[in-house]
This record gives sequence, structure tokens and C-alpha cells, in this order.
Amino acid sequence: CNDFLELTPISEDTVENGYNSAPQIEAALNGAYESFQTTDYYVWDNILLGDVRSDNFYAGGDNPEVFEYDLLTTSPTNGRVNKAWSEIYNAILKANVVLEYAPKVEDPKLSEERKNQILGEAYFLRAYHYFNLVRLYGGVPLVLEMTKSADPEKTNLPRAAAEDVYAQIATDLQMAIDMLPERYESAMIDKARATKGAAAALAAKAEAQSPNRDYNKVLKYIETVENSAAAYKLIDFNHLFDGGHFNNEESIMEVQFIEGTDGNWEPQMNLPKSISGDDWRKFVTPSHDLINAYDAQGDDIRKNNTVLFEEVSWSDEYWFNTPNSSIPFAYRRKNASGWASADRQYILRYADVILLKAEAFNALGNISAAAAEVNQVRARVNLPELTADDMSSKENMNAAILLERRLEFAHEGQRWYDLQRFGKLVSTMNNLVEIDLRTGKPTAYNMTEAKVLLPIPQNELDRNAALEQNPL
Amino acid sequence: QSKLNGEVTDNNGEALPGVTIQKIGDTEGTITDMNGKFTFPVVLEVGDSLRFSSIGMKTKTAAYTGQLSLKVKMETSVIGLNEVVVIGYGTQAKKDVTGAVAMVGAEDMKARANTQIGALIQGKAPGVQVLSSSGKPSEGFRIRIRGTNSINAGSEPLYVVDGVPTQDTRALNPADIENVTVLKDASSAAIYGSQGSNGVVLITTKRGNTDRPQVTFDTYAGVAEVWKMQKVLNGEQYRDLMTEMGQNTEWDKYQENTDWQNKVFQKGYSQNYQVSVSGKSNKTNYYFSGGYLDQTGVVRTSEMQRANFKINLDQEVTSWLKVGTRMAYTSYSDVDVKDNLDVNQGGVILGSLSTPPIIGVKNPDGTYTSNPLQNWENPLAHTDAPVRGYSNQRMLANVYAELQLVKGLSFRTNFGIDNNNDVYDYFLDPFSTSYGRALEGQGINSTNNNGYFTFENILKYNTSIKKHQLDFLAGSVIQKWNWESTHIERRKFSGGNIQTPNAGAVITAADARKSEKSNVSLMSRVNYSFADRYLLTVNFRADASSIFGQDQRWGYFPSASAGWRISEEAFLKDVQVISDLKLRAGWGIVGNDQIGSPYASRGLIGSSNNGYPIGGSSQPGTYPSSLENRSLKWEESEQINVGLDLALYNGRLRVTADAYQKDTRDLLLQSPLPTSTGFNSAWRNVGQLQNRGIEFNIGTLNIDKAVSWNTDFNISFNRNEVISLVDDMYEGQIAGRGAAILVQEGLPLGSIYGYRYAGVDPKTGNAYYLTKEGETTFTPTPEDREIIGDANPNFIYGMTNTVSYKGWSLMMFIEGAQGRDMLNATRFDTEGMTDPKNQTSAVLRRWRKEGDITDIPKASWGNRDNSRISDRFVEDASYLRIKALTLGYNFPASWLDPASISGLRVYVTGENLFTWTNYSGFDPEVNAFGGSNTVQGIDYGTFPQSRSLIIGLNVTF
Repeated sequence: CNDFLELTPISEDTVENGYNSAPQIEAALNGAYESFQTTDYYVWDNILLGDVRSDNFYAGGDNPEVFEYDLLTTSPTNGRVNKAWSEIYNAILKANVVLEYAPKVEDPKLSEERKNQILGEAYFLRAYHYFNLVRLYGGVPLVLEMTKSADPEKTNLPRAAAEDVYAQIATDLQMAIDMLPERYESAMIDKARATKGAAAALAAKAEAQSPNRDYNKVLKYIETVENSAAAYKLIDFNHLFDGGHFNNEESIMEVQFIEGTDGNWEPQMNLPKSISGDDWRKFVTPSHDLINAYDAQGDDIRKNNTVLFEEVSWSDEYWFNTPNSSIPFAYRRKNASGWASADRQYILRYADVILLKAEAFNALGNISAAAAEVNQVRARVNLPELTADDMSSKENMNAAILLERRLEFAHEGQRWYDLQRFGKLVSTMNNLVEIDLRTGKPTAYNMTEAKVLLPIPQNELDRNAALEQNPL
Repeated sequence: QSKLNGEVTDNNGEALPGVTIQKIGDTEGTITDMNGKFTFPVVLEVGDSLRFSSIGMKTKTAAYTGQLSLKVKMETSVIGLNEVVVIGYGTQAKKDVTGAVAMVGAEDMKARANTQIGALIQGKAPGVQVLSSSGKPSEGFRIRIRGTNSINAGSEPLYVVDGVPTQDTRALNPADIENVTVLKDASSAAIYGSQGSNGVVLITTKRGNTDRPQVTFDTYAGVAEVWKMQKVLNGEQYRDLMTEMGQNTEWDKYQENTDWQNKVFQKGYSQNYQVSVSGKSNKTNYYFSGGYLDQTGVVRTSEMQRANFKINLDQEVTSWLKVGTRMAYTSYSDVDVKDNLDVNQGGVILGSLSTPPIIGVKNPDGTYTSNPLQNWENPLAHTDAPVRGYSNQRMLANVYAELQLVKGLSFRTNFGIDNNNDVYDYFLDPFSTSYGRALEGQGINSTNNNGYFTFENILKYNTSIKKHQLDFLAGSVIQKWNWESTHIERRKFSGGNIQTPNAGAVITAADARKSEKSNVSLMSRVNYSFADRYLLTVNFRADASSIFGQDQRWGYFPSASAGWRISEEAFLKDVQVISDLKLRAGWGIVGNDQIGSPYASRGLIGSSNNGYPIGGSSQPGTYPSSLENRSLKWEESEQINVGLDLALYNGRLRVTADAYQKDTRDLLLQSPLPTSTGFNSAWRNVGQLQNRGIEFNIGTLNIDKAVSWNTDFNISFNRNEVISLVDDMYEGQIAGRGAAILVQEGLPLGSIYGYRYAGVDPKTGNAYYLTKEGETTFTPTPEDREIIGDANPNFIYGMTNTVSYKGWSLMMFIEGAQGRDMLNATRFDTEGMTDPKNQTSAVLRRWRKEGDITDIPKASWGNRDNSRISDRFVEDASYLRIKALTLGYNFPASWLDPASISGLRVYVTGENLFTWTNYSGFDPEVNAFGGSNTVQGIDYGTFPQSRSLIIGLNVTF
């Protein structure tokens, strides 16, 4: 009768037998990568929080929780804030599973070299997720081991200081840099998996973002990126987002999708009827302020890769109060493919590293070296070199870099954190003038220092008594 | 010698049909015809005695003295003391029952047309709450016996159909049911051990017991409609509101005036046919039936069909061996409509309210229209465009053999199965809707293939020594379930002609999976009675479940109950007024392993759907899907019950009263975890729940002259409380507004949670709320939320009155629930004024300018601060409903005899004819979260109950 009662799951593995062989640990790692595809956060909310929250885009659409992001009134009960938190921590769990089980796998098919790579990839993923958490919420609980017990003593962890989170990110990324290869066997794989270049690029970004940043370290990490056998370089800007040049030479790492079967739903949320086939009011509407910034520079190439105007039947509170007017749509991802597009986000791309290098040079007092880096990025979109005025002071140079980053990375989820890093977040949002056509008055953003971070989700506070809320 | 003829009448000399006549000490018997006449099938000898019994009459014994004919007058008695009650694995005389048991007999069932078993029980048995959380034809019932006993494990009772346990009762045909017994307390349900913690509903189907084959034909037809509509804004008022919120469109283009409720709601028609043949010949009892039911719902396109076939057969093979079978085959299909969703998600009920009247149904190009300010399509796009349907084939069957080993000792072996296959098909064409166009068409096919078997072996022994009567039972049961499912979805269709997924160019999902579960149980029972006065029942059962880890697999569940028939004591025996008085008391522990995850104690690793593409092609990916807990064990429910049965004046007044307390411990709880663990929840044995209550059933025979009048009334009070819990649980998420239900120590399940509304500020038009300290604020914090309602009724009740005169009978059944709250979440969408949804006319009172004094805040585009979950939307959903009113007429035998018809009845029934309630929504008897244990009392565009009129006919040949 014990045989009759001893039933092993048919369609699932269990922790006792699911992580023992080489293909199983590879599958666990792939599952960890898959969070880039299957979470709302990495598909969409990173754009909402990086761009809609900033001066680049309006919420568009019809979702009050997204309006909260846009209008800087995000409350602790906002469901998206909770979703982002739990999705990122779920991704961390998957990385922790790989870190726990990979060293224990004894399978002749798993070489020591590959085992190290696997660990390096998992360290990279964990660091990337904590980098997002710390930017969104500040210090967060550091969960560094796979969860094995539901005991509140073990699960109710307090928040670590932001500095400690950044220190852990640096530690994980150093492991990743040491363990990861510069290239795998093909370019397609190079951009899908973490590489030494990706780990170094992320380490540079995290170092620059951290409260105790050291720009010399940033430059050291960048050197590792530049020396990579992957030979990253800038490509034609029009190729970056045309849906025809995936896994290109500028890409350091990007989320992988397959059109139709394993696709990305995000483009359908943004693209107009002519492309998406449906004419409900779309999300993530480019702002006047963003379009003015492109126009002021005459930056047509990047503007045309960011914004598409089309006539719509609804009215838009910022663009036109009368129907059948032309309004802009977010356009970096250009193919909707019925909610299953192959178009994707870059996790890291080389232009970011170049502008980060400029930022580091400028911070260390080398303004002309900084300008040279910025000019590379400008040259490929046919813009003139920075002016003498731009180069006249560290402050002006910083402003030029920040603007360049805005034009370069609009709709890539970076703006909010760039403003934060440059110390311009509060002033920029408070100086932002966006006229609400329904009232004829500018929208009051009432930006404060406290709003730099999201609130800790109420749902998580309810479940974990050791957590403390951010100032609201 | 010839056979005995006879006639049976009642007190008034009226013929009594259907009286069972049995020779005492033998199995021979017959039944009276429509004229009360009978011919006893075997030749009797002087000294034989005959027993005459019939429901509602006092059983009478008559001795055979060699006469040629016999006239018997029977007295009315509602008491039915010798009535036999079906209990677990056997039957028992009602007078000997020591547990809390409720019965619904054939008489109750005949009174009206029923499509589902739940409707038979609703309001008929104290302590039994039947929840019909929506009025969909496809919706089943949920039954709660003495409250909700669990949080994450099942709270539905065990249904046992002719000895085969089952969960889904939608496939049962009420016309085949002979009677239903509800085992409510631990001691009566304990024989079902692990599956009995929520009570047991025993369903016995009909068998033949007349010598002459009896053919019955039943049919009815009905029409149903919603009983209430909502008043919404007209086109002009809608435009005003939108303009106020700064919205603009080419209003001149939208000049229609569509009444969307009128489009969505329709008259629903139903028709039902049922034929059965039953009888008894020699040593064979048989019952065959076939039935067909066809119903269209009150919401456009919703429908349901059911065809049933049934064979019940018992054969005496030898004097010591009896074999038999019960087989039921059901073919069921329905078309569902989406409810409990907002218009953005295609919710049809909310769509009928939220869609502005200014648009028509279709555009000139054949596509569905949408809200001009936001592309939400009108509700007909969701009822008419998707071609969809669910169908289910189910076989519920068992075979048994019963051996009489020696006198008093019998052995029964029973093998039963419950197999069902269901298929869901869905197709959305690539033209008419915007979602269909975006996907270029979508085809889905899902199947489930579920199997179950049970194998029981039971040994019974009964003996009596002087005044001691003893019954022993011992047995074993093994059960196994297996589930298989597949799911296929394809997109990109060339057109709308081929609607199966094969025609789609892109495979978006292709999934197939299996799981299984097994139980092994050993059980035993002793019934002891002394002199019909002192009764004792003791049960012990051991259960093992594959869900739990090896060390925790077995659970042991004892129970005992005792009864004292005081009326049999010498000091009461001569008191004529009291015909029966019995005190009962019982205690027991029952287990529960009914959780939806058969591998809950395992640390499972799931495989992701499409994997992750590396190197351009998808690679397999896995993820940890649950936290391992090998110490997971049985949830236990301990119950005490005390009860009293009293019958006065020869059964003209009967009272049954019970009081109980049920404590459920070691709850199988999917308890929430901090999500920083990477998991959302984990299965643990934590927490404790309590249900306490009292329930009464009162039956009276008011008049039994030419006119007879019976009343049956029951009322139940249950109090539910969460005694302990590790962490509070926030549930019942409502479209972007957060949780509306709090599960917390000291509160009942179904506590509605939110802000306290304090009115409208005349200056700004914004909503005031109260802080914890009681001060008003526009911006309350989450900590200011409080309990603002309780979905549990203070009491539920039902009353049936039956009046008959000659062939006429009038039955009125009322049912109600008092003191329950409902969060009318529909009003978030219809009074919220945050987006381009049409609103109800309540918003005409909205604040518009400084100084306006009103209870409805101003419109605020894209901002829900003025429509937070608050007590503003909590309403009293108490109701009293005339559930059924039936007028029937039995044609007299004198008319029927020439046509060889033995019975003909016609009737007309009105269901839900009147409802008294203060609830403002479509219907107070709904729940958007269905049968959820914790989330109760929320209406969010839920398919309402309908009002219907049915005309029916029963013929017997």
C-alpha cells in the first residue's frame, strides 16, 4: 500500500531530482534568463519607471496605476509596484538556485569550464536584478541563498543599506567578470548570455550609480569592456531598432524573443493602429519636452527612431483636445506582430559604455576626453561636435552628457536614473512644464527628494514585519 | 386459494396511492395504484402480517385472517419514525440516528422543476447554505455545511452518489434522484473520514419497486429574465460628463441611442424531457431513464444542454448473493459568457453598463463598435464574436456484490468509477474585433481527461441479544484520481471559416500534463442500542493520502455519539402529547486533504512554456514553483454537536434543534510569504478556524381535513471566526484598487476591508475619508483601512408551505439571508467617473461647482482617490425571496383510467418571483469570486440570478 501511496509528480521535477545533471542545471539557468521575457517588469514596467516617470513620456492609455507613475503620486498599494518587487525577487531566487546547485552537479558532461561559466552567468543575473531593486526602492533585503523554509525567522529579512546592496552587486560582478568568457561560440549566443564584457559594463554602471561612486573604478571596468574579444562598436543608429539587426555588434546583451511563438507583447501596447491593428488609446506617449529636445538639436535620426505621429480618433490631454488630430507614439520597437513581436530591449549596449566613459572622464576633470567620447555618439547620427560652451566647464559638460543620454536612450528605461545620478532629478521634474489641455494649466508634479524612490509595496510590508517603509 | 385484494384510504376515505405493502419478515411486497387498490403478489397464509407504509402516514400493520379482501385506513403522520435514513455505508431507522442528519425526500423534489441538485437542497435543510454565486446556466452550486471550515483546502462537502464519491454535481439529473441525506456533524460524517470534514451529501437514485412496470414522462418548459435593470446615463448626460472631464470627440458622429442592457439581457428559455421505466420482476429491480435539458441564459449567447442516461439494476442471484449496478452517462455542454470583469477586459455585464448609448452595435464594415473615447468594444463583441463552447462526457458507474455469509453477517464489495472528458473550444475571427485583428485570429482547444476509481470492501454484522441491538461494520477503501490536460492555441488565421486551431499559422501554446492522487482508508463502526432507548455510535477511521510526506501520511479520526430516547422511558411513555423525544450528543475529529495541489508537500520545479531562446532557438527552462514541506499533514476538524428531536401530537408538530462547535486546526494553508523569498506563498499547517452555530427545523401539519396544509421552516445561525493565523492575508483584488478582503485573527472569513468614507467636500468636490484617529482627510494612508463589512449572514432561513385540496396543490417556498454585507464593486466602474465608461444615473448628483452639497464626489479623470474601496460601496445585501411558487393539479383517476394512465399532473412554477432587498445591484445572491472560502460578498459585474416561469407535466402509465 505504500507503493500505491508513493506518487511522484508526473509533469514536474522536484528539488531532489531536478538539478542533478548538466542539462538540468542548464535548464535552471535558462529559466533564470527567462525572467527577462516573462515578467511585466522587464518587458514593460522598466520603461514606465525609467521613462514615463521622467520627463520623456506621458502615461497614455487608461491605467490609473500607470497614471500614478506619470504624475509622481505612486502609492504603496499600487499593484505594479508590488509586482515589480516580487517579480525581480523571483528572478533572484532562480539565480540563487543555480548558484546553490551548479557546484553540486557531478556529471561528466558538465566540464569544469562550463560549470564556472554557469556560475558566472548566475552571478551576473543576480547582480543585475539587485541593481534594479536598489535603483527602484533603495536598500532592500539581501537574499543570497535559495529559500528553503517558510519559517518567518528566516523569511522576514530587514532592508540592507543601499551601500551594502551596491557592495554585493560589485562582489557578484567581480565573480562574474572572473568566471565568464568574453565570447561564446556564436554572436547569437554572445548577446543572449552574460559575458565578461556584459559583467564589466554592468559593474561600470553600478559603480557610477552607487552613493560611494569611484569613477576610476568605472574606467577600469570600461577598459575590460573595450578589451573584450567581442569587439563592441557603434553601428548605424537606424539599424539598432529596425527589427532586422538583432544581436548586432553594438549590443552587449539583449533580451531574446522569437516572433509569434515566444514574442514580446510590449510593442503592441505602444504602437498605433497602422502597425498594431487596434485603435484603443496606446500607452507611453512621447512628451512635448522630449520632442522639443530632439527638435532643438535637429536630431532627426534619433527622433524618427523614437517617435511616430499618427492621426487618432480620441483626444489626448497633452497633445490635442480635438479628435482626429495627429499625436506621437513611442516608436523604438517598431513591430507589434500581434502581441508577439521579436523586437526587444537592450540589456546593455555599447553607446551606454561610451557615454559612461565620458561621464567618468568629466568627473575626473578631463573635459576634452569626455567630449571626444560624446562626439562619437553624436557623429553617428550626423550631429555636430559639442560646442566650446559645452566644454567650458565640468557642469556644462555634465549637462551635455545628460542631454546626449536622453536623446540616445529615450524609451530604453534609463532617464529617471540618469537624472538621479546627475543630481538633477528633483529640479528637472519640478521645472518641467507640461500643459494639460483640459485645464489649460501645467501639470503639478510636486517632485520631492522622497519620490526619487518608489514606496516599499504595502503588500510586502504586510507580509514582512521586519521591513520599513521609505519616506513617502 | 387466491391472492389478497385490498384498498387503502386515509382518514377521510380518500384513496391513497403509492402505499408500500410488505409481508413482515419477507421481501415480498407491492404498492397501491392511483385508486389506492392493490393485489398482494403472493398467496398469504393465516397468521401472516402485512405492513402498510407511506411517507406522511403512520405505518400500520394488519394481520391476515384468511379474508378475501382487506380495507385499511391509514392515519396521517408526518413523523415518519420508522422512516429509513440513508447513512454512510448503510441505512438506519430515523429514530435510531444519533448524529445531525437532514433529509430531502422525493416529495420535496417533485414540487418543482429543478435543473440541479443544489436547487433541491437550497433552503430545505438547516445548517446547509447553498451558494449560487451567479445565475449562469453553466454555473454549479457551492454548498457550505455549517460554515466555511477551511481557508485553502476545499470547503465543499463530499457528494456520494450511490456509493461513489464525486465533486462536480452539475452532471447529475435531479429527476433520477430518490432522496438526499446531508450528514452534518462529525459523528455522522466520520465514516467518510478524510473526506467528511465539510459534511457529506448522500445521493440515492431511484430503483424499481412495483410489479407492474411503471413508465413516467416528465416535461417542462420555462422562460426566464433578469428581474432588475440599472438606470444609466443617456447620450447627452454622458457627453456632459465626458466634457466635464476634458474629453472630446466628434460627438456629431455618435448619435445612436442604444440600450445596452436591453441588448445584453434576453429572455432565456428552457425545456426539459425525462422518460423513465422502472419495476420489479421476480428477483430483479430495474430503473432506466433518459433525460434532456436545454437552457438558454438570460445573458445573450449563454446556454446549456444536458443529456442523461441512467440504468439501475439489482439482481438477487441466490438467497445469499445479490449483485447490482448503477450507471449514469451524461453528455453536457455549455456556452459561457465572461462576467466578473470590467469592460476593458471584456466583462459582459459591466460592458452593458459601461458602454455609452451613443454608439450602435456594428460599424458599416462589419466590425464591432467601441467607445469613441477609448477603444473598449461594446459587450456584443464579447458575446457574439468568439465562437466558443465547453462540452463534457461523463460516466459515473459502480457494480457491487453483496453476500449474506451467515445470519447477521454480510459482506459487500463495490467498485466504482467516475470518468469524465471535457473539451473547451474557442475561436476569435481575424476581422470583427480589435483583439482578433491584432492576433489575426485565435483558436484554442483545451481538454481534460479525468479518471477516478474507488474500491470498497465492507463487512457488516448485526445481532441482538434480548434488548441489546448491536451493529458492527469494518471495511477498507482505496481510491485513486488521475488528471490529464492538454491546451493548444494557434494564431494567424486566413479567415473565419475554419475555426479549429489547425488553420492557424503560429503555435502560441501547446501544453499537456498529468497528475494523480491516491488515498487508502480503513474504517470501523459500532452501533449499539439498548431497549430502543439508549443509542450509541462509535467510529474509527484511519486515512492515508499521497499528498503528504511519508511520515505524515496517516491520519487517525475517531468519533462517538449517543442518543437517549426519553419518550421511550416509562415516565413519558404514557404522555400522549409527546410522540417522540430524543436527545443526541456527538463528538468527533475528521480530516481534510482536499487541496488542489496533489504534490503540495514537494518542492516542485516547473518547466516554462516556451523556454528561453538562446542562439535563436528556444531552450528548455525550469523554475522553482513551490517550496518543499515534507512535514505537511492532515487538516483536522473537531466538532461537538448536541441535538434534540421532538414530535408532538402524533407528529403534527416536529422540532429538530442542533447546536454545534467546529474547530478546524492545522489548516492546510497556502500562506503568503514575503515575496523577497521568490515565492508568493507556501503550503503550511497553520492557523485555526471556528464555526459555532445553532439550527432549527420545525415542521407542522396545520390542517389535515379535505384541505391539508403543511409548513416546514428552518433557520440557521452560524458564526465563523479565524482563531489563529500566522500572517494577515489580503485578498479579493479588485481591478487596480487593491485588496477588499482581510483575513485576520478574530475576524470571520469574508470580512470586507477598506477606507471609511466621510462625504464630499463642498469646496473641492473631493471625497473625504476618515483616518484611524477619526479625522477627515483627502489622502488616507493604507493604515487607515478598517473592516467595513461582513459578508456572513446573521442567519439564513427557508420556509415551505404546501396546501392541497383534492387534486390541487399549492406550494410556496421562500428563502432568505439576513444581515449580510456586499461590496458593490460594480459601482466603482459605474459611479467612479475616472475614465470614459458610461455611469449610472447616480452620478447626476455629482459635485460640479463650489458649494454643491452632495454625496457623490466630482468626476476625476484617471484618478481613483474619489472612488477608493470604502464603506460608501458596502450595501446591506439581506434578502427574502419567493424562491418558488408552484400550483399543481393531479387529474382524478376517474378521468385517467379509461386512457390507462395511472397519474397525470400539470403544474406551473414561478421562480424568484419576488425579491425583497435593499441591495441596489442586479442581484443580492451573487459573488464575483464564486465559491472562494475567504473572498465572499463582492459583486463585480456578476451574472445575476433570474426570474422564471415554468410550466410542466408529469404522466405515469
